[in-house]
Amino acid sequence: MRYRCAAVILSLAIPATLASQSLESLTLRFAGFTTVSGYEQAVTDSLLTLLPGATRDRLGDISITLGSGSPKRLVSCPLDEAGYVVGGVTSEGYLTLRREGRIASPLFEQQLEGHRVTVFGASGPVPGVVGVRSVHLTRGRVPNEAPFTVDDAYVDIGASSAADAAALGVRLLSPVALARRPHRYGDAMAAPAAGRHAACAALAAALLSHPKISGSMVVSFTVQGLQGGDPGLNAVIALKGPFADTLTATLPVKYRDTMAETVMMADIQALEQRLVQWMGGAK
Amino acid sequence: MKIFLTVTLVCAASAAQAQSTVAEADSVLARLIPTYGVSGGEAPVREVVKSLLPSWAKPETDTAGNLWLRVGSGGAPVVYVAHMDEIGFQVTAINPDGSLELDRTGGFFESLFEGMPALVHTPRGDIPGVFPPRDSLPRDPRELRHQPPVVRVDGDPNHSTLRVDVGTTTRAATEALGVTVGSTVTMPKSYQKLAGTRATGRSFDDRVGDASLILAVRHLDRAKLTHEVIFLWSTREETGLFGARAAARSLGTAPARVYAIDTFVSSDAPLDPKSFADQPLGQGPVVRALDNSSVTPPALVDSVLAIASARHIPIQVGTTNGGNDGSMFVPFGVPDVAMGWPLRYSHSPAEVIDLKDVAALANIVQATAEVW
Repeated sequence: MRYRCAAVILSLAIPATLASQSLESLTLRFAGFTTVSGYEQAVTDSLLTLLPGATRDRLGDISITLGSGSPKRLVSCPLDEAGYVVGGVTSEGYLTLRREGRIASPLFEQQLEGHRVTVFGASGPVPGVVGVRSVHLTRGRVPNEAPFTVDDAYVDIGASSAADAAALGVRLLSPVALARRPHRYGDAMAAPAAGRHAACAALAAALLSHPKISGSMVVSFTVQGLQGGDPGLNAVIALKGPFADTLTATLPVKYRDTMAETVMMADIQALEQRLVQWMGGAK
Repeated sequence: MKIFLTVTLVCAASAAQAQSTVAEADSVLARLIPTYGVSGGEAPVREVVKSLLPSWAKPETDTAGNLWLRVGSGGAPVVYVAHMDEIGFQVTAINPDGSLELDRTGGFFESLFEGMPALVHTPRGDIPGVFPPRDSLPRDPRELRHQPPVVRVDGDPNHSTLRVDVGTTTRAATEALGVTVGSTVTMPKSYQKLAGTRATGRSFDDRVGDASLILAVRHLDRAKLTHEVIFLWSTREETGLFGARAAARSLGTAPARVYAIDTFVSSDAPLDPKSFADQPLGQGPVVRALDNSSVTPPALVDSVLAIASARHIPIQVGTTNGGNDGSMFVPFGVPDVAMGWPLRYSHSPAEVIDLKDVAALANIVQATAEVW
C-alpha cells in the first residue's frame, strides 16, 4: 500500500514538472528522444508515465481523450524517425546494420560514416562509432567515389568478438541511431528528426496547457509513421474513430534528414498556439 | 658497441618505477579531448596542459605558441614533442546572408562535417551553428549532395565546399556575435568510453601524445636524469609542422635525439587496407619506424625495444602514413625516434583508441627519458 501511494504521487508529480517546463525545454527534451521507427517503446513508456489517463494500443500508439460528445476529432503527431537496427555481429565484434523507416535523402546514410551512434541493447544504451577509412591511409577520396551507405557501416563498440558484444546486451534487431545532441543556434534548434520531435513537443505543450475542448478530442502520439501505409495513425483511426476531422502536427524544417535538421523556435510556438485553437474548435 | 649500449640501457631500465595507469590516462584525456584547438588557436589546449602538470613544473611559452618544459641538466638534451592542434576550419569571409565561407585546416574528409552541428570559436566564446548540406547552397550543381566532396570549386586547395550557418541572415548580425575572418570552426565533441579499455573522441590525434607527455612528467624520476630533457607541446602541426619547425631552429644541432610522440594510424579497422600499419589496438604503443616524413635509424629502434622489455612495457614496431614534428629536427642532424599509439579512423569524429596503449606510451616516454 505504501508503494502504491508513492507510485500515485509520482505520477501526479511528474506531469506538474512537465507542465512547468518551457516550450523550449520541452522541445529539447523531445529532441533528445531516440525513436527508431517500430522501436519507439522507450519513449512511449515515458509518455505513459508523463500523461495520466493516456493509454497505449497494441501497436504502441499513445492516446488520450479529452472532452466528450461530438464532434469527435483527432490531433496527432508521428513520434518515429528513420534509423537502424543491428543486422549482424561479426566475429571481430563489429555490428552491421539494416536501415529502418523511409528516408528522403541519400545524405541520411552518409552521415553514419565516422560518427557516433547509440545502440539500444538489452542492458541499456551502448555507445559506439561507425568506422571510416583513415584519411592517412587512403590519401584522399577517389573521384566519383560511390556514396557511403548503410552497407558500408561497421559499428565499433569496443568489442573484440561477438561474445563481447553479446555481453554488452547487443543483439540482433537492437535499435541503433546517431548519438543525439540537440543543438540550439540563433533562434533555431538542430537535431535528427527535429521537425517531427518538435511537432510532438508542441502537441504535448498544447495538451498540458489544458485547452478548452470543443466536443471530444483524441490526442495521439503515433508510432511507425515512416512505415508503408502509416500503420500507427491508421490504427488510431480504426480503434478510436470515426473522426469528424483530423489534424497532424507538422513543422517546416531546413536541412531535412541530417544531424542539422533545423526548426525555428517561433514556428514551434506558433504550432502550439494553433493546436490549442484547433482543439477549441477553430478551423 | 650496439650490444654494449643495449646492455647498459637494459640494466639502467630494470629498476621498477611508478608508472602511469589506464585510470590516469582516462582522467587526463577526459580533460584534453573536450578542449578545442584548431591549428593556430591552441591557447585553450595549452592552458589545460599547464593545469595538468605537477606543481614543480614551470613551463614556458615561446613566440610560436609552443609550450616548453625543461627538466634535468648535463649532456645533450633530448626532446619529446607532441602537438596540441587539431583539424578544423577557418573563416575566410562572412557572406551577405550571414553565412561563413571556410578554408580547411588540415587534411580530412569534409563529408564528415556536412549536415552536422558546428561551433565557431571566438574570443567571446563558442558560437553554435550548423554545416548546411551542400544542396541547400548555391553551388555547382554537378556536386551531388550525396557524393563526398572532392571537387575543388575555385582552385584553392584549402577552400572548403562547406559553409556554416550561425542562424543569422545578415553579415552585420554575424559580426555582432563576435565572428570574424580568421575565427576557427569545429563541431561539438566529447570524450566517450567504449567497451573495456576502448574510448572514442575527436582529436585523439594528438591529445593522446599530449597526455602521454603529461603522464610521463608526473611520474618522472628527476634524480635519474643525466642530461636535460625537454618536453615540448607544439603548435600548427596539422598545417605544416610550424611550431616544431620554430623549436628545431632554436635548438639547432644541440639535441641528441627527438622523440615525436604522435598518432600511429593503424589499419586495424574494417575498411582499411591491411598491406601495412596493421598494428592492433590494445597491444602497446608503436615505434613508428618509417612514415612519410622520417626514418628512425634501426639501432635506435632496437634501443627502444630493449628499454621496453626491461620495464615490461608492451610495444610494437610498424610503418604508417603521415608526417611528424620530429622530422623538423632531422636536417640539424638530430635523429627522429617517432613513437605513437594505434589509432582507428584517423582525423574523423570517431577516432578510437585503447587506453592501455596510452598508459604504456607514457611509460615508454618516461623510461626512455630516465635511462637513455
